[in-house]
Amino acid sequence: MSAEKETPAVAPGGVKRREFLKVLGVGTAATTMLGCTSEKVEKLIPYLVSPDQTVPGVSSYYASTCRECSAACGIIAETRDGRTIKLEGNPEHPVNRGALCARGQSALQGLYNPDRHRGPLVRRNGRLESIGWDEALQIFAQKLGEVRSRGGAAGAVFINQHESGSFPGFLDSWLSGFGMPAHLSYDAGADHAAIAANRQSYGVAWPRLDFRAARLVVSIGADFLDSWGAMVPQQLDFADARADHDKAPRLIYVGPRRSLTGLNADQWIDCRPGSEMSIVRMLAGQLPVEAASQATGVAAPVLQAFAREFAATTPSMVLAGGGGADALEVALAANALNQSKGNVGVTIKPAEGYLGFDGMASPAELRALATRMNSGGVSLLMVRGANPAFTLPKSVGFAEAMAKVPFKVSFSSYPDETSELADLILPDHHTLEQWGDAEPVRGTISLQQPTMDPVFNTRATSDVLIALAKKDPGAAARYPLADYRSWLISRFPGGAAGLTHALPHGIVSGSLGAAATARPVPAVVAGKPIEQSSGNMYLVVYSHPFLADGRGANKPWLQEIPDPVTKICWQTVAEMNPATAEKMGLANGDHVTIQTAAGTLTLPVLQYPGTQRETVAIATGRGHPHSGRYAKAGSNPLEILPAIEDRAGGVVFVSTKANVAKAAGHAFIVTTEGSARQHGRGIGQAIAIADLRAGRPGHDTGAENVAEVAEAAGIEEPARDNPEATTEHGEEMPGDPEHKFLPGLRSPVANDAEGEQGTQRSNIKGMYDPNHWSGMAKRRWAMTVDLSRCTGCAACVSACYAENNIPTVGADWQTGKVLPDRTGFGANILRSREMAWIRIERYYEGGEDGGADFDTRFVPMMCQHCGNAPCEPVCPVYATYHSPDGLNVQVYNRCVGTRYCSNNCPYKVRYFNWFGYGEPARSQYAFPEPLNWQLNPDVTVRGKGVMEKCSFCVQRIREAENRATAEKRTLKPDEFTTACAAGCPSRALVFGDAADENWTVAQMAKDSRAYHVFEELNTYTAVVYLKKVNHPNPAVGTA
Amino acid sequence: MATLTKPVPAKDEPRRPNIATGDVQLPAVRDYEQVDREIIGTLHPTVAWFIGLGVAVFFLIVGASAWMYQIYNGLGVAGYNPPVMWGVYIITFVFWVGIGHAGTLISAILYLFRAGFRTTIYRCAEAMTVFAVMTAGLFPILHLGRPWKFFWLIPYPNWRYIWPQFKSPLVWDVFAILTYLTVSATFLYIGLIPDIAVLRDREKISPIRKRIFAQLSLGWRNTDREWRHFARAYLFLAAFSTPLVLSVHSVVSFDFAMALTPGWHTTIFPPYFVAGAIFSGIGMVFTIIIPLRKFFGLKHYVTINHLDAAAKLALFTSLVVGCAYMNEWFVAWFSGNEFEKAFFANRIWGQWWWASAILYTCNMVLPLSLFVQKLRRNAAWLFIISFTINIGMWFERFVIVVPSLSHEFEPWQWTSYRPTWVDYAILCGSFGWFSMWFLLFIKQLPVIAITEVKEIVPPKLRLAHPHGISPSGEHFDFEADTPGEHD
Amino acid sequence: MPGFVCIAALATMLSAYSGASSSEGNGPVQPVQFRHTIHVDTLKMNCLYCHFSANKSFDPGLPAVGTCMGCHTVIAGSSDGNKAEIKKLVGFWGKNQPVPWIRIHKLPEYVHFPHMRHVNAGVTCQTCHGQIQSMKQVYQASSLNMGWCINCHIGQSNPPFRARYDCSSCHY
Repeated sequence: MSAEKETPAVAPGGVKRREFLKVLGVGTAATTMLGCTSEKVEKLIPYLVSPDQTVPGVSSYYASTCRECSAACGIIAETRDGRTIKLEGNPEHPVNRGALCARGQSALQGLYNPDRHRGPLVRRNGRLESIGWDEALQIFAQKLGEVRSRGGAAGAVFINQHESGSFPGFLDSWLSGFGMPAHLSYDAGADHAAIAANRQSYGVAWPRLDFRAARLVVSIGADFLDSWGAMVPQQLDFADARADHDKAPRLIYVGPRRSLTGLNADQWIDCRPGSEMSIVRMLAGQLPVEAASQATGVAAPVLQAFAREFAATTPSMVLAGGGGADALEVALAANALNQSKGNVGVTIKPAEGYLGFDGMASPAELRALATRMNSGGVSLLMVRGANPAFTLPKSVGFAEAMAKVPFKVSFSSYPDETSELADLILPDHHTLEQWGDAEPVRGTISLQQPTMDPVFNTRATSDVLIALAKKDPGAAARYPLADYRSWLISRFPGGAAGLTHALPHGIVSGSLGAAATARPVPAVVAGKPIEQSSGNMYLVVYSHPFLADGRGANKPWLQEIPDPVTKICWQTVAEMNPATAEKMGLANGDHVTIQTAAGTLTLPVLQYPGTQRETVAIATGRGHPHSGRYAKAGSNPLEILPAIEDRAGGVVFVSTKANVAKAAGHAFIVTTEGSARQHGRGIGQAIAIADLRAGRPGHDTGAENVAEVAEAAGIEEPARDNPEATTEHGEEMPGDPEHKFLPGLRSPVANDAEGEQGTQRSNIKGMYDPNHWSGMAKRRWAMTVDLSRCTGCAACVSACYAENNIPTVGADWQTGKVLPDRTGFGANILRSREMAWIRIERYYEGGEDGGADFDTRFVPMMCQHCGNAPCEPVCPVYATYHSPDGLNVQVYNRCVGTRYCSNNCPYKVRYFNWFGYGEPARSQYAFPEPLNWQLNPDVTVRGKGVMEKCSFCVQRIREAENRATAEKRTLKPDEFTTACAAGCPSRALVFGDAADENWTVAQMAKDSRAYHVFEELNTYTAVVYLKKVNHPNPAVGTA
Repeated sequence: MATLTKPVPAKDEPRRPNIATGDVQLPAVRDYEQVDREIIGTLHPTVAWFIGLGVAVFFLIVGASAWMYQIYNGLGVAGYNPPVMWGVYIITFVFWVGIGHAGTLISAILYLFRAGFRTTIYRCAEAMTVFAVMTAGLFPILHLGRPWKFFWLIPYPNWRYIWPQFKSPLVWDVFAILTYLTVSATFLYIGLIPDIAVLRDREKISPIRKRIFAQLSLGWRNTDREWRHFARAYLFLAAFSTPLVLSVHSVVSFDFAMALTPGWHTTIFPPYFVAGAIFSGIGMVFTIIIPLRKFFGLKHYVTINHLDAAAKLALFTSLVVGCAYMNEWFVAWFSGNEFEKAFFANRIWGQWWWASAILYTCNMVLPLSLFVQKLRRNAAWLFIISFTINIGMWFERFVIVVPSLSHEFEPWQWTSYRPTWVDYAILCGSFGWFSMWFLLFIKQLPVIAITEVKEIVPPKLRLAHPHGISPSGEHFDFEADTPGEHD
Repeated sequence: MPGFVCIAALATMLSAYSGASSSEGNGPVQPVQFRHTIHVDTLKMNCLYCHFSANKSFDPGLPAVGTCMGCHTVIAGSSDGNKAEIKKLVGFWGKNQPVPWIRIHKLPEYVHFPHMRHVNAGVTCQTCHGQIQSMKQVYQASSLNMGWCINCHIGQSNPPFRARYDCSSCHY
């Protein structure tokens, strides 16, 4: 916490720019709301020397680069009083264009992770003891000396978490300086087959996917919305493409499990695992439909229509992920299809490709390394960031092999399975604490700078390496520089001045000239075809969208935010098709044993209709034995995954069948899902593109099935499959052109003033009078949610957690321990006590029989800020009331906790503080030091026994108003937005003043797809949803 | 009013209040001496009583410590399962408020209606009312997230310059409950004054007790003037508290009826709740009075005729409640409101079917047995029925509160509900609290109204006669009446 | 007897009404006896010299020890009393320690008080903090209760002093 002396962030002023001395008490520190605290004596500690450029209580913003995945998005870090409190996307950045995904948001919980290494550790008689840096460096230097003197330098290995930019080059030069081989740049999450295939077919590792240009997108297990490649830019492009309804591409997803990408697809072809190849060959016309149907287990007519549509549609886009044993072949074949259909350069743009995926070492290389380690061929192992002991299949035996290495050094900043085995740990800075750079797209350098002083006594590995080199007589000469930062400057176009100039933008045009070389792939272990493996079901292991290969597992946000697809949190489940599960007599939560050649795992069953009937699917990322307190939740499927590699050297995640059998015992499924069906209540509505074009309201709350489309093509309105949508509120169904409901967007008070609700102007008093000087009643803060854009990725949820100090409640020590069978991780979620102010509801339509033809509606649900709110009149103490500018305000400190408001809320978006989540003394405390450093000082941390809910980021509204006042002006249209809307990688959320035509939201609300949820309740909500647009196969429609 | 000096008044003369009709006389009670002796005799503490009190206090302590535990840790220790934000506490609150209705009904409304059978049971019922309301009053505070801020619901001038939200039914509750508590307590006390005077006069042992009784009886001297004022005051209070009987539970029902929630949002709630309240009240009266008359040997005061009459009242209210249930169904169907329909379907066939089953059995089916006179006149059966009524009425509130909230508009938020040991402990605590007060009461003050009993005892001068003579003049002998009733 | 009850009730109400719960008047002895009288009254220093962010932030800004030393490296003080106090200050500076001031004015964390809005609107420091310039030992001059805030917020009708009294202006 105290100022670190060798921090690189030294500004010309001499005083350290982000010097951080703990400022106690000063009003900005957000602490728990507990009655009257004025009695106890509180100290007021001033700065010793006040840092220049910072004003207490006013944020400074630093542009940097996100390192949570290989895409290297640009981020803007908001820093207040020396603490980074919020990350947002960098609007100028070419990759993410201002958006930021859940993993990016959660970088903060890596920075402030309570389990981080406080300083260097060394293993003495079996135990890790903390030591000083000098001693640690001394030990390391000495070891290096020994290794070299014994001539074992060639046997030294450095594994680095894959990252693009200058560091890999710097590292290799350092290694070669010591006569060591180049490092292994390892990313367990990457699709090595796709990368290899792309380089072979297109010459780049990862081309840009231009969905806008495509008319048909075929994704063969390529989860470009989950974790496949450059997630954020792909999502941006996809959402933009889909939002342009007339030219929007149809998305067909082929694969054994319907991932988030699959749920966003218009059609799912549930092929048998490992049979992707026959689909591709069918599309290429090399395989008759019947044969393909045979191989994939998909009905021939469906494939027939698919093939016909594919043949008929150009330009199209075929993407292959899959992760089967023949992943490389499939990918190559898919690319060949693209070439033959002339998609390359049109929809698939190698020239604009992403460079973050170059120079990766494949898992095969690490497996080879493991064998070398076993044979004692490795003299020294250095690991930074990567966690091979966990991310490789257990059957590789990396951990065991590692034990055979005489000396192991870890640069990991966190405890994990690999650093657990290390002899020396030299904790690295978090990426938000250190310098760096990246070249995410050609011609743009993305800069990475420290956004605050280091939280703990850690050191940037780059600086450690330089320090070591200085200790070595041989290498010292080659490192005249003080630290890595000056090394960067020395190579930076324009030097220090150039850097200072570029930093505020976070990007600068130029190239690092990083070599985009394909690494040779060692001989791979090819297993026997999946069909020949023994078992009654196919085992599909997939990468969790948030936890990825497991590196997100110790971040409570990522554990608590439900998986966008299964809505599971804090738990690992075995997903099965409901039909199959029924057949095996398995209810949700029943235990099953999943046995493969590599091992056995017992998991609770989750009936997920998006699983192919012969498949059991398990997510990676959970079940860490040694990665910190939160990471212990769940279990790890890699323990039973055979170590088989595809020809690109990547781990095959769909490699074997498994024996799945009912086991004794039952576990409650930790999910936030109540009912997955909306029972025709029109919460998530959709409209067929045909209806939209024809200007028909297309009253639809049910499945967009083929018959209905056919009908929609006719003149008369489609038959509605749910009575109440029509019989009761049919004529007022949202989406009618008259927009009867739109007055609801304005505060009813304002409406009353104009007699719209019959009340006379004389009733309007004080600030509720539109003519009041404050003009508050003239505004109506509102939000539109475009369901045709929303992919359900939950980035908004994470942004909300970060902005509004929302506690996570799922850890097992946070349960009240009052119900014996409701304990362990997620126990509070079991009792549906999650606190997320915005949640993504995921409703299925159709496919009740467990069939593949179901449609999914993602509905972000937050406080609707009703103009006529049911919660307001029932609160006995005015803790919730309607502000003149149309907010439904919750005053925490007035709340006595009758919870009547929640009872009366039709949307169920109010959340109650059952325990003292904000009180450090409690076991339920949600922000163990230093996680509490991230708390937003502008938002009260709610105390025990009060109600809370989405405030439309009222703190941002008031801040903007303060700014405007200071500048003696009124608010500019779209001047600011809420946290969720700011981060949304689909641009689905738009916030603003609906009463002012100049704001975007006011225009959006006029859309013909607009509707309110439960409009018939007369709540006059401020949140307007725009119907999802479904794109059924036109061919089928007219057939 | 004193005693009867002559037989039946002629037709033209207006009947005085509170004269027993033929079937609820107390033939086995001969003279005032006996009344004083027997009723005051019940005031001597017995071992059984001490044990009972001990048990009550024990439960109270259990409940209280559970509450402290809850205050320290937060409401999370209770079984709430959002969006089921109300649970056992509110259910029990409504339950006790309901119990608190029979008393005033019996003592006030039946008084105005000249229902003679109230005479011997009303004191007990009224005490029950006061203590039940005292119990109910705890729960709104007890279920708060921040109970230490409960006073914010009370309108008082404060430096925050804010008042409560008068639109909120919860604020109405505060007023309704407090008013009811005050009035029913006063009513109880007024009725007690002459009896306390009797106690005072007959207190020979302890001067302190005598002094306290003297204070409480406000120096009652048994003059005609006092009696006249007493009668007036009593009549007035009866008239005054009658509307309260209806208003209080109506207001409580608004807590639900004013909300949007399917299953709550209905106009039938006020009458439905009031009927239910009286129903449960009578049930509780049976639960209390039947053991009392046995252990205190008061069977010749609370005769089987009294029970019979009360049972008829229970039967009637049960029928009313039954109609209300059916009407709910009809409205749900007739309104065509999908949410309402879905909810009621769920109520029967959903996860809460068993709760509904208990409710309908206990409140609609079993009470029908009271159509049979034999059962009506069978104390044991009435005792059993009274228990099923209490259980049924508790579950009525359960079915109203929990299933409605767990199955609301938003399918994504449909959940379940499971109380924890904290809920149960506090529930038991409330019974402990209630029983403690009641047990203390019955050993300090007469549980049967001495004065009013005396009003219907045959006058002294007739005692020379070997037989009793009813006010209506005809002769009869004691044994003829309700054989086996006194020993 | 009823009289007693009434009086008790009245007392409770009055105490509640007057905000007896506030720590008004609290003026502890500080580690260094800083004399606002000298700096403000005699030397006519501007408040914003030390409380540098009062006009641009929610947070008025607490002078860093360095700021004090800006003058007190050369100014040793006139009277012995002052000399002693300044020595203490120099002592802290020498030990590289910040001065552990005792906090006097404290709003609960659920109240967001924008100093800059008030200062820029021309509300003087004294309006809330009392006659600081003549306080030998700073104490809390106002109750800082909600009602006390409201008094201004509903009392003033003309710019620049007119202010919002919507709850969400301060509570969020």
